[in-house]
Amino acid sequence: NRREDTVSSYASGGSCWTLRRNSSQKEWYLLCASGDFVKVYSVNTEETLRLMGGHADLVTGIQLNPHNHMQLYSSSLDGTIKLWDFMDGIPIKVSSLGFYLHLHFYPLSGPHSSVLLLVSDRFFFLWSDTFQLVSVKLTKGAGQDLESKELSVVLDGVGASVKHIAFGREGAYVVSVKDVTLQVYFFKRKLLNRFSLSTVKTKGGDNRFSCVVCHPTEDCIATGHADGKIRLWRNFHHRKEYTYSTLHWHHDIVMDLAFSVEGTRLLSGGVESVLVQWHNESSCQKDFLPRLGSPIEYISMSSDGALCCTLHTDNRITIINSNLRFSRSIQGLIKSRDVKTGLVVDPRTKALVLNGEPGHLQFYSLQSDQQLFSLDIVQRQYIHQAGLKQSDLVKVAFSAQGTWLATVEESEEVTDPELQLKLWFYSEETQSFTLNTRINTPHDNHITDMCFRDMDELGDDSLILVTTGRDCVFKVWVMVEDTDPEGKSAHESVSWSCDFVGSYHNYQATNCCFSEDGSLLAVSFEETVTVWDSLTWDLKCTFCHPPGNIRNICFGRLTCSKYLIGATDYGFLCCWNLLTCALEWSAHLNIVVLQPDPLSEHIAAVSWLSKESSLFVFKPNEPRPLYIQRNLCKEKILLAAFVPRDEPETISSEKYLWLRKSQLFFLTDTQELMTLSTKSLEERLTPSSKQLAVEESLPVTPFSLLLGKHRHQQAQEDTDLGKPVVHNKQEQASPAVKELLHTPAHVLPSASFLCTIFINSLLISKENKSAEEVADEVEMESEKADGDSDEEDVTVMEQEDTSPMELLGEMTCKLSKSQEKELRKIRKMDYSWIAAF
Amino acid sequence: MVASGTGTQLAIGCEDGSVKIFQVVPGGIQFERNLDRRKGRVLCLSWHRSGTHIVAGSIDFFRVIDVASGQTVQRIMVNHQVEKAKRECVVWAIALLSSGTVVSADSFGRVQFWDWEQGTLAESHTVSTSAALSLAVSEKEDSIVVGTSTGATYQLQLLPVKLGGLEKCWVRTKPFQFHSHDVRAVAHSSTALISGGLDAQLVIRPLMEKVQKKGYDAVLRKFTFPHRRLVSCARKARLLLFQFSQYLELWRLGSTEETGKDGEVLPPCRMPEHLVQLKSKGPEHIYCSCVSPCGTWVGYSTASRFQLYRVRCDGDGVSLRKVPKVPKLLPPAYQLQFSADSESLFVASARGSVHVFQLLEPGGCKHLHTLQPPSGCSEAVYLLAPSADGHWLAAVSGDWAIHIYNLKCFQHHCVVPAYSCAVSALAIHPSTNNLVIAYSDQQLFEFSIPEKQYTSWSRAVQSRGLHRTWLERDSPITHITFNPKNPAHILLHDTYLLCILDKSLPLPDDSTLLMNQSTLKQLPETARKRQLHAFKICKKFQPLLFMDLLDENCLVVVERPIMDFKTQLPLAVQQKKFGT
Repeated sequence: NRREDTVSSYASGGSCWTLRRNSSQKEWYLLCASGDFVKVYSVNTEETLRLMGGHADLVTGIQLNPHNHMQLYSSSLDGTIKLWDFMDGIPIKVSSLGFYLHLHFYPLSGPHSSVLLLVSDRFFFLWSDTFQLVSVKLTKGAGQDLESKELSVVLDGVGASVKHIAFGREGAYVVSVKDVTLQVYFFKRKLLNRFSLSTVKTKGGDNRFSCVVCHPTEDCIATGHADGKIRLWRNFHHRKEYTYSTLHWHHDIVMDLAFSVEGTRLLSGGVESVLVQWHNESSCQKDFLPRLGSPIEYISMSSDGALCCTLHTDNRITIINSNLRFSRSIQGLIKSRDVKTGLVVDPRTKALVLNGEPGHLQFYSLQSDQQLFSLDIVQRQYIHQAGLKQSDLVKVAFSAQGTWLATVEESEEVTDPELQLKLWFYSEETQSFTLNTRINTPHDNHITDMCFRDMDELGDDSLILVTTGRDCVFKVWVMVEDTDPEGKSAHESVSWSCDFVGSYHNYQATNCCFSEDGSLLAVSFEETVTVWDSLTWDLKCTFCHPPGNIRNICFGRLTCSKYLIGATDYGFLCCWNLLTCALEWSAHLNIVVLQPDPLSEHIAAVSWLSKESSLFVFKPNEPRPLYIQRNLCKEKILLAAFVPRDEPETISSEKYLWLRKSQLFFLTDTQELMTLSTKSLEERLTPSSKQLAVEESLPVTPFSLLLGKHRHQQAQEDTDLGKPVVHNKQEQASPAVKELLHTPAHVLPSASFLCTIFINSLLISKENKSAEEVADEVEMESEKADGDSDEEDVTVMEQEDTSPMELLGEMTCKLSKSQEKELRKIRKMDYSWIAAF
Repeated sequence: MVASGTGTQLAIGCEDGSVKIFQVVPGGIQFERNLDRRKGRVLCLSWHRSGTHIVAGSIDFFRVIDVASGQTVQRIMVNHQVEKAKRECVVWAIALLSSGTVVSADSFGRVQFWDWEQGTLAESHTVSTSAALSLAVSEKEDSIVVGTSTGATYQLQLLPVKLGGLEKCWVRTKPFQFHSHDVRAVAHSSTALISGGLDAQLVIRPLMEKVQKKGYDAVLRKFTFPHRRLVSCARKARLLLFQFSQYLELWRLGSTEETGKDGEVLPPCRMPEHLVQLKSKGPEHIYCSCVSPCGTWVGYSTASRFQLYRVRCDGDGVSLRKVPKVPKLLPPAYQLQFSADSESLFVASARGSVHVFQLLEPGGCKHLHTLQPPSGCSEAVYLLAPSADGHWLAAVSGDWAIHIYNLKCFQHHCVVPAYSCAVSALAIHPSTNNLVIAYSDQQLFEFSIPEKQYTSWSRAVQSRGLHRTWLERDSPITHITFNPKNPAHILLHDTYLLCILDKSLPLPDDSTLLMNQSTLKQLPETARKRQLHAFKICKKFQPLLFMDLLDENCLVVVERPIMDFKTQLPLAVQQKKFGT
């Protein structure tokens, strides 16, 4: 699975850092932990330059190497720390600290040059929420993989977030905050001071700490608090005579703080989405950068102080000049609080359209991982305050050509939704949508679904919009010509009005969809699906599959257009034949998402069962699914969308043929956008990242040439034989050589001692058969290769369930691998002995 | 007006811009000379610790004056960097530190640190958007407290920039908002910040880091009323005398003939009656006052004068006549007390002395005797308690020694054993002649005057200890009186409670509830007996200014609701409050 991870504002340890490469190039890089990856952005162009992958789990912290600003440390939940050359995206070192489940780390400069400090929950199983700050000595070994065992606990009971720990001036002390306790540990004096604030919440005060930073040049600690206060602590080496002063502007929790490089300014941010700059604490003076769009989650300063960047909860990075002017923003997929609109594909740009900023519709380009534009639908100022009921966008539909856009907005009030239906026309001149019609209160209750009649060939005149509401009706909206001929262009002179109101036994209308040719409209009313003729608005027939309300419906396409598919919340997927008006087949599946591919007959259904989502792809005319992916992910998949490919991809694997014309995207409840990839993880990662920096930097010596030639030959051999290059073999051999190359000459053991090791490492291991042998065992080899690739597939695709699907009641004709092997064995067996009989 | 560090000189700044130096001599002050006079009124002064320089704050500038030569050696404009401000910048408070740094607090809300020799600004802290009015420096000169016109006080501390480093800077640390109006005066003790403001409150905010152990000092204290008697009562005549800062008011109490149950408000048959208002002459505040038990004599004293009046009630009219030829006293009275038979007046005076005046009909007064402690005393007497039989007089002087005099022979009788706390109230029991003493640490003692020793009850109280809740109370006992019907009853009150101490009942221990009156009410008679203890406390009247027993059935209680005088305060500085 390829995870199109969004910038990791949702991840616990996402933090970002800016830095400048060098003065001559004047280029700035922004490094950002994002899901399992570390992203490198160019600040000038806002582009993602590099995606550094290799961690097997969430990246929890990144930190520039204090000794070499071209290098970056990253830590991950998989228990490893990697040192990267981020300019080239190459991992230099990997240190595995196996038993850590959760870690952030801080390479210390100065006297503690090789010491990293980590937050770990080593005793996670003993005390569920105890995290420790541990210092680890990273040995300066030669190999790429290191095991670090020298550990010592510095602080107990620290906060798990990266914002809860800070290092003081020149790494002299470490500060940790948790709840209402501040701990300061002085490394040299081995002194631990603990200061507690009152837990009593008086007059709206809440003393819990939310973040901590240290002044870069003075001994001053700044802490943010849950009630919006910022405290500046001083004299904290005295247990009693410590003191603090208070700054207060935020009305809610201070999410993050950052000092400027000289420490003269302090930046703070919170849910108000205002960046506050506090000048030196002696004056009450402060500056504001308001309207940053969404709550600020992280603030980071560049190493020279010229830029600052804020990371927002909606997954956006804003870059701000030192004079507190907005410079630019990097935004991928904006994380909205709740994606109510669903995943919609803009037919014009092929961009994914969904809720963006509050009240906005975002157009997200999947190819470039960038937001194309954001359309303000609600057109009201959004107030960032908890508990305020504000209008938001809930439904979106595009016409087939993308010329019309229908949006529904409602306020969060349950009783009085204040509905508005808006119709937007795409203006070629302005290259954006302009509001054509606004309909107040189109339904008396929440609108549940909305769709356009997609009729490409008939043009705009046939355009019909259907909305279904909880007020038990569906309404048909059509364009009408304005009688007033003043309107200049054709589209300005039309407006939308209600044409037909349909209902069925006073049930709530829940879903609607048009058949491919637009002649039929299916509307679901609780347990029943009704099919209507779209010309006369006559009820043609009804289907139902009691018990259970209809959750999703869709028509089949192309060759399967005579089928109507429906999923009920009682756990059934049903396929009705529209010609015979009978149930064709049904399957017991708890389908949450039903998504037809607009370019083929395929329909994707995602089921949710006992904490795992599974994907089924099927054609309506065959009850047997084409493709099954069990345990697609642990999160609940809420939405899916087929995005048409620009050109059909050549897909070798038969399994993925259905992905030829379009790509399938999912959105989970944690707002991760995922897609199904036909390629394996190894293929996707750039080959350079697999190579080792150490090898690259080998000096060109006769020895290295020899070594290179040897390697080249080996690779050549492998490719000649059509074998996949098995990296493992090289990696097995290399440590000895690397050891040899890295160790300074004066500490090397005698050459005679090393000789055998070296020679052994150069020997071709026994697994590599000679060319003659290979020819004999082509069949076996190919089988093995098959097996290899299969294995790879399994690791990438996660566990593929090969067991027959009892639930669908059909046996897959495909044999499992083991069965195939078994068959082959039988075939290869010598049956000559039978002839003797 | 500021005294020099040694206390030998007094500097006085004048409206005309001059600074006058006075020499402090025994028994008074003597003009020494005028220092350099410049235009602009002098608003604040500060001596250098060595006494060589004085810094004087004016409008828009302050100047440093060399005391020896009397010349202005530096004149610094405080608002030169504020270009836009055409407003004048008033230097409200100033301090000259021993390091030579001048600290100024001005009407722009800034606290600025100047190097006066260079004439440069070292640091500027804008502590408030409104004026900074007052300033006080700690003894070590590492902490400053600033009072502002919004009612907030701020602490500034001299802290090292780097831990253990020598470089230090002033940092505004703790803000406190205990006042609603201007903080006009601040003081910095070694363990607390003390502020007083226009809202008639005195606040002592302890610096927790300086307080060694938890105790009385470690708690924030707020005082709205002085811990002294402001009301006196003529029991027989049923009159009350209220002492205000500039005048006295004499009221006749109302009465009722009806009876009712607990909690009922009875309709008065005679309304309370305002008899007379007596204004003191001049700007001086009234220091103390008293009305005689018979209600015919009223005496008061200001800082310079002592006055005695004869009150005559004839029918509805009340006539007030000043008693002529009152013996001149210098300094005048610190406390006045009439004897129980209204025939003599005791005047507490300086150096531990008590003057006894004989009151003569129809309106005269004669100095009879002056009582003085045999060992001598430098402090003035501030509390007096005569016995009901006119035999004894207890006097407390500022050194907290309680002297008991025999009035029959005008002789010193004895001294109550010294205790390390100030006496807040004392009274002599009418029948047993036991002196009941309340100290400011809430301890209670009973001293038998005839036997010259603590009574056995007092010893029992001391050995057992008082209830913890009683000892942790905030305000001291300000008045003690007795129930003539039951000699075991002692009536005490402070600002927040009224207590009947029944000596016949057992003392409560820390595990029992001290204020148990409401729970006792709900208990049946038999259970109530077991729960009873010596302290019967009523918290119904708050703040309580005065309580006295008029006769066996009548108790007068004077309550002064805080809102009564809060509404009379001028408007506070308008401040925008978030969320309003």
